[in-house]
Order: sequence, then structure tokens, then C-alpha cells
Amino acid sequence: MGKAAQPALLQGTLDLLILHALRRGAMHGYAIAQTIHLLSEEVLKVEEGSLYPALWRLELDGAISAKSGLSENNRKAKFYQITRRGEKILADQEATWERLSAAVSRVLAG
Amino acid sequence: MQQSIEDELAFHREMAASHDDSIPLGNTAVIAEHGYDLWRFNFLENLWRDLLYAARGLRRSPLLVLAALVSLGLGVGVNATMFSLGTELLFSQPSVRDAGSIVAIRFSGNSHSPHQVLDFLAASGLLTDVVGENEEVISNYNDGKETRPVFSVLTTKNYFTGLGIPVLYGRGIAPDDPDEVAVLSYAFWRQHFGGDPSVVGRTLNLDGRMCTVVGILPEHHRTLIGFGYSPEIYMPRYLDSTILAIYGRLKPGMSIPAARAGLVAVAKRMDQAIPVDYQYEQGLEVSPVAGYARLKYESDTLAMAVFFALLLVVTGLVLLIACVNVASLLLARASARRREIAIRLAIGASRGRLLQQLLADSVLLSVLGAAAGLALAEVSAQGLARIHLPVPIPIRLQISPDWRLAVYGAFLAALSMLACGLLPAWRALKESIAHDLNREKKMRLRRALVAVQVAISVVVLTTGFLFLRNLLHASAISPGFDVVHTIRANVNLPSAGYGNSQEKYAYIDRVVNSLAALPGIESAAAARVMPFNGGTHFLVDLKFPDDGQKQRARFDWNAVTPGFFQTLSIPMLQGRSFAASDRGQHAVVVNSEFARQFLGGRQPLGTVFLWGADGKTPYRIVGVAAVTKMLTIGEEPKPQLYEALADIDNDRREIEFVLRSAIPPGLQLEPVRRTLHNIEPMAGAEVHTVYSSIGLAFLPSQVGALLMGSTGVLGLLLASIGLYGVMAFSVARRTREIGVRVAIGASRADIARMVLGDSARVTLGGIAAGLLVAVLVTKPLAMFLVPGLKPGDPVNFLVVALAMFATALAATWGPILRALKIDPASALREE
Repeated sequence: MGKAAQPALLQGTLDLLILHALRRGAMHGYAIAQTIHLLSEEVLKVEEGSLYPALWRLELDGAISAKSGLSENNRKAKFYQITRRGEKILADQEATWERLSAAVSRVLAG
Repeated sequence: MQQSIEDELAFHREMAASHDDSIPLGNTAVIAEHGYDLWRFNFLENLWRDLLYAARGLRRSPLLVLAALVSLGLGVGVNATMFSLGTELLFSQPSVRDAGSIVAIRFSGNSHSPHQVLDFLAASGLLTDVVGENEEVISNYNDGKETRPVFSVLTTKNYFTGLGIPVLYGRGIAPDDPDEVAVLSYAFWRQHFGGDPSVVGRTLNLDGRMCTVVGILPEHHRTLIGFGYSPEIYMPRYLDSTILAIYGRLKPGMSIPAARAGLVAVAKRMDQAIPVDYQYEQGLEVSPVAGYARLKYESDTLAMAVFFALLLVVTGLVLLIACVNVASLLLARASARRREIAIRLAIGASRGRLLQQLLADSVLLSVLGAAAGLALAEVSAQGLARIHLPVPIPIRLQISPDWRLAVYGAFLAALSMLACGLLPAWRALKESIAHDLNREKKMRLRRALVAVQVAISVVVLTTGFLFLRNLLHASAISPGFDVVHTIRANVNLPSAGYGNSQEKYAYIDRVVNSLAALPGIESAAAARVMPFNGGTHFLVDLKFPDDGQKQRARFDWNAVTPGFFQTLSIPMLQGRSFAASDRGQHAVVVNSEFARQFLGGRQPLGTVFLWGADGKTPYRIVGVAAVTKMLTIGEEPKPQLYEALADIDNDRREIEFVLRSAIPPGLQLEPVRRTLHNIEPMAGAEVHTVYSSIGLAFLPSQVGALLMGSTGVLGLLLASIGLYGVMAFSVARRTREIGVRVAIGASRADIARMVLGDSARVTLGGIAAGLLVAVLVTKPLAMFLVPGLKPGDPVNFLVVALAMFATALAATWGPILRALKIDPASALREE
């Protein structure tokens, strides 16, 4: 995962973040990592060692699909985009996250 | 195209570097490895899951599986059998060490040379090993009860060691062995000694010599000559006069052109050392003995190679028909799975994955079908190997499956998988998105497929029918002599007591008279050559003393007793046969073809020409006989010349006796045998009716008819299965429509006509297309047919078209009956 200073992410959570990022459109792996980094206000930094296995697993599951494309500096890159199946999984995972975080908050408050 | 895992990771690092991010730590190799594992496992997992799912699905439709397996099994099986047969006959390797380095050598165009030539060549050191064999030898094997002629090979003593021939028991002939040793073939060993290994070390009486058995050859031993020729005994040559076919082993790295150059040099030296009338260098030939290389050098085998290529094409077409059958069945099935596929696509399954799943069906069927087919090929190969060919020399085909067959089988399986599966799978995907309006299109596709099947079947059937007709024509062609009332006795004299021609002729005379005296025998004669059982060809210059003209003549030669022509009922067109007054006068009888080609318009009778070893002996024609066939029944008339047996210098121990019988010849075989045994018990004798001896003549046409005919029938069968399937499906689909028609007053005849019309439309198209192709394709087949039969004969096509129609009718019968049984009330209630 990341350095000790960063919070650890469960694998399911990483999938959630990736799928959410791809809602914005097709991106290559580096762009996904940057998006997560920026949206989390630079708290979360996803290393390639966890990013790519997660991306490949999502692709094999059919939640995202891949295409070859040109990056902003005209290099060939693999672009991912979310599929219908991915949208469904995202909706499920968002709901689960809501319930989970609400439950954890309740425990910590009590 | 997907980027590779490494490219993707490299791209990420470039981006990180260009954005001045900290270079990510972590080992890309490890990540990449992780990625590959992920993908690989996924692929295998999917594959396994697809196959399991397909298997379960297929289990629910056992009829489909049965039909598919039978179709594919037959298609692949027939294909594989022909492939094995072809590769065995054309490409087999002799059972020697490093067959690729062995070559056959001919000096002066002679197939066999005296041993002095061999010794000189061996001494020259040009080649690693030089061995020789005479494979045309017949030995008399006396087992104590009777004497039988046995096909043998006389070899040089270094034959086994030089060639490196493996043995099953004992050893091969060794260079320091005495002359009286023998190596037995597997078949001979099993037949005469029941497979008892203790025969090694025992002695056998061969040609009156007691030879010690030193070894036994393995079952799958293949000779240098190939084509399944399998002689029964190998012995060292023991006479100085035995001529030998020369084989040599090239030195490592030596090419054939280099060997040839070396041999030319040796030939020139031989001209000085052992001079003969001709030059050794003329007609010098060096050719490989193994596999494909040999085919390139020997043009005789070209016709055989072409025949097998044709056979493979035809069986390939049959396999195609079978695949179309299976594809059609799978198409029907895919249509039933429409909804399932549509749902899957809706919930997000990728097209690629779905295609994989749909192909799993055809993969499973193809693999099982190919396995069944290869098993069938193995069984038929065993059967083929057991067939005893009616030829005068022992031929045993050894078709044992090897890696080549396995590769070919895999290739066939892959091909059928694609042919069977791609179309249905692709169609299933396309149409599940667009609902019912594609049903009509699919029906049209299936019907088009059946039409294609019918067309292919017509082509295959035309070929088969052509070969069948060929056989019938061949059987009707007269060989030119009586084969119904005649008997042939092939006698092999022992060397003791029959050293010169006078002794031989005294024996012949005695035998002919004794045989003619038997009750029921009308006449008897003797000859050197029996038609269809060997031949002696001459290519010489004839000189005519009357005008000094020279004529190049190529003819078949024979030496006969005077009663030969009468015994075999060969008509004498002019003049007469030999008489006692012709003794020593060099009288000859020629046939009409000889007279036509070589006499230059002269009257045959009384014509004298000069011929013979010295070119100065005058020969006088006393008679002109009708032409007889010599080698195959379909051959063009060949020139023939007969000398009197009493006049020639008879150097062979083999004699053919022919007899004409008033009663059925099969009844006379035993008396003839006894007579021969009484006169000379040490002579090997084979007595058969002439009818059973001429199998060789019909062999090509029989083989062609059998192979092509059965393939044609198979193709027809498979196509009819396809037609039946489509018609049955069509009727089932139109149940409602038929019900409506019946309800509004259509008669049974109307319904029947409707279904028939449907079937006819499909079949007609197929037949028309098929006939068109068949006309083109069968033109080059003329090379295989007897004269008088043309491939373009309209009768062929008419018969095939009728046969196809009849089959279509038979195939549609069931569906018609089913259509007639449709009850309008229940039909209208159907969905």
C-alpha cells in the first residue's frame, strides 16, 4: 500500500473510488490516481502496486472496459471506462459505504 | 489492441516523472507478474467453466450429440484413414538407420548389376556403406511335407550391418556368416512357426540348402522398395552370377549432386577395369529411398500421388458436409437460446466472453468427434492391413498411427470446430439483439446451408459414380485370352538337375504331355511369362535385310510352347503357331500391334528381321496373334513377340504352365498338383485358376471404385441427414400455418405438395450448383479411367441428379408424414 503516514484503504474501497473517478469519463491509470489524489485533497495517494491490480480485476469482472487511446501528450495509453455493470456495482458499493460509515460513526459516538 | 502490462506500467512512470511526482517505489516486475497471473488464471477458469456449461447443455440433447458425433466421427475417420493410407504408401521410411542418407544407385540404367560392380564401388571409398540385394528371387522352401515357392531376397553379407536394420529376435546376417543362413520376416515366422522364438538356430531346407535361421524381423519392418512389399526370407547371395540392386550410404554432409559427380568418376574408372558393351556412366541414377524425397525422383508414383491427393480432397469435402450438418444443428440450438443470450447481454456480459461460451459447444463436439474419428481410423487401418491384395507379390500395408496422424487429427478437429461453431455463435449473438424478425433470415441461412451440402454431395457422388462405372467397364473388357476355362501352374525348379536349357526343356515337354493327358484337360502349354503376372520388356533395334531399314522396337516378350495360343484361346489372325519344323530356325509369332507398329507396311508372314545379342540373327515371322492385355485391363494395345520355348537359352528356373479344362477348372487343381509333384517333387508349385490369378489387372479399378464409391455414398448419407433435419424443423415451425390451411380446406395432397415443393426448392438449387462444379472438377479424372469411359458423359450427371432427388424425397418423407398428421385445432392453439 502507501507509506505509513497515509491511511490504509480496504480493497473494496479502492474499487469504489476508481469507479467513482471513472464517472467523469474515460481515463488512463495515472489520471485515475491523480483524480483520487486531488479529490481527497491530497490525502490519498494510490500506488501503482495497488492501483493496477485493482484496475485489472475490475476489467476482468466486466465492471470497466479498456480501449487504446492517445494521452494528452500524444502517447499511446490504455484508457478505462465504466460499463453498465460497473455503474450497478458502483451504486451498490456507495450504498454499502454509506451504511458502513454511518454504523462506524454511531459506534464511535457511543 | 490492448497494451501490454509492461507498457502500461512504463507509461505510468513516464507520466509521474514528467509531472515531477515522486518516482513510485515498488518493483514493476513483481506487479507485472501479478498481472499476468491474474489474466492467465482468468482465462483458464473461464475456459473450464465454459466447457462444463457446454457439457451440461449437451447432455440435455442426446440426439444432437449423437448426430453430431456420428457425422463428425465418420467425416474425420474417413479423412484420417485416407491420410494414413496415403502417407504409408507414398512417404513411408524403410526400416534402416538414418534412411535419409541411403540412396539407390543405377549404372547404365540397369536396375541390377553384377557383384563386381558393387565390389568396385565399395572399394572406391566414395560412400560409407555399399550394399546390394536381389529382391526378385523365389526360393523353394521344403518343410518336409511339401515344397512351396517363397518370395526371398538375396543380399550382400553387409546388408543388415551396413543399413542398420533392427530385428525382433536373434540378429541380422553378419559379414562373417557362412552362406547358409537366413533371416525370416515376421509374417513368414508367424505363419509357418506359430511365432515360436526357438526357431532361431534351427535349419530350413531352402532350394535344397540347409540354412540356419539367425534372426526374425519385426512386424513393422519396411523394405527399401516400399509400397508395402514384404518378402519372406532374406539370405546371403551364394552364386557369382546373382545380379544385385545397389544401395549406398552417403558420407555425412554429402549431397546427391556431389554423390553423382563422384559416381561418374567411379563409372569412368570401371569402364577401364571391368569393361562391358555399354558405358557405366550412361543412365547413371542416384535417388533417395525415403519419404518425400523419393517421390520427387520417381515419376511412376506420380499417378498414385495424384490419386491420393484427389481422395483426400473428396474426403475433405465429406468432412465439410458433416461439419455443415453439425453447424446446422447448432444453429437450431442457438435459436432456442436466444432469450438467455439477450438477458446476458443486457446485464453486461462482454461480446467476447459470450462468443467464447457459444463456441464451447462446438469445441466440445469437435474434440469428441475428432477423437471418435481417429478411433474409427485406427479400426479401419487394422482392417485395411489385413486385406490380402490379389497381386502376385506379397504386399502388406502397415498403417500404424503416428505423430503425423495426430497432428492431422488435431488440424481436422480445429477446422471442424471453426466450421461448425463460428457461424451459429456469431448468428446467435447478432440476432438475440434484434428479436423475431431474424427468425426468417435464419431459416434462409439453414436452407442455404443444406443447398451447399447437396451441392458438395453431388460433386462427391459424381466422382464415386464415375469410378464405379469404371470398374464395371473394366470388368467387361476382355483381356484377350480365356480366363474362365483355364488353369495356371507356376513352377519353380530346383537348381540340382536342371542346370541347362536342354534339361529344363525335357522337363517342360514331359510335364506338358502329362498334363494334357489328364482327364478333362483339353490342352496344355508352357510359357516364360504369364499375362498380369510379370513381364519382360525389350527395347531394341530391328534390322530388315530386305531394304536395310532399321526400326526401333519396344515390345513385351514371351517364350511359349506351340500349344500356348490354342490353350488360352488367343486367336491366330494370320499364319500359325510354332511347329516341330521350326526348331532352331528362330521362328517367332508377333501380335497385330507389333505388325502394325514395326513392320512398316510389310506383309507379316515370312518377314525376316535381324535381332539378337549380336544383332545378326535372322528371325522369321510365322504367325500373327491377337493382342492380349499384359499389365492392366485398361491399357492400350501393346506390341508382343513370342519365341519358341524350345529355341531359347532358358536361364530362369521359373516356368508357367497353362491348361485348358473342359470341366470347371477349380476341380482340376488337385490333379494338376499331384501330377507336378509326381514328376518332380523338389519343385515348388503354385496351382490356381487363371481367373483368380489375374486380380492384379483389376486392382486399380477395384481400389478406385471402393474408395471413391464408398466416400460418395457417405457424402450422400450425411447430406440427406442434413436435409431431413432442416425439413423437419421447417414443418415444425410452420405447424400453425399448416393448421390454418387444413382448417380452411386444404387437402392432404395439398399439404404434401407444399412440403415437397419446399424441399425441392432447396434441393434443386444444390443439385444445379453441384452439377456445374462437378462438370469442371471431373474433367481431369480421365487419367484414371479405362478407355471408352468419358468423365463428361451426360449419363453420369443424369444418374447422380436422379439419385440426389430420390434421396431428397426419402429424406422429406418423414417430415411430410408429420405435416399430414397436424391437427388444425391443436395447431392453432400453439404459440
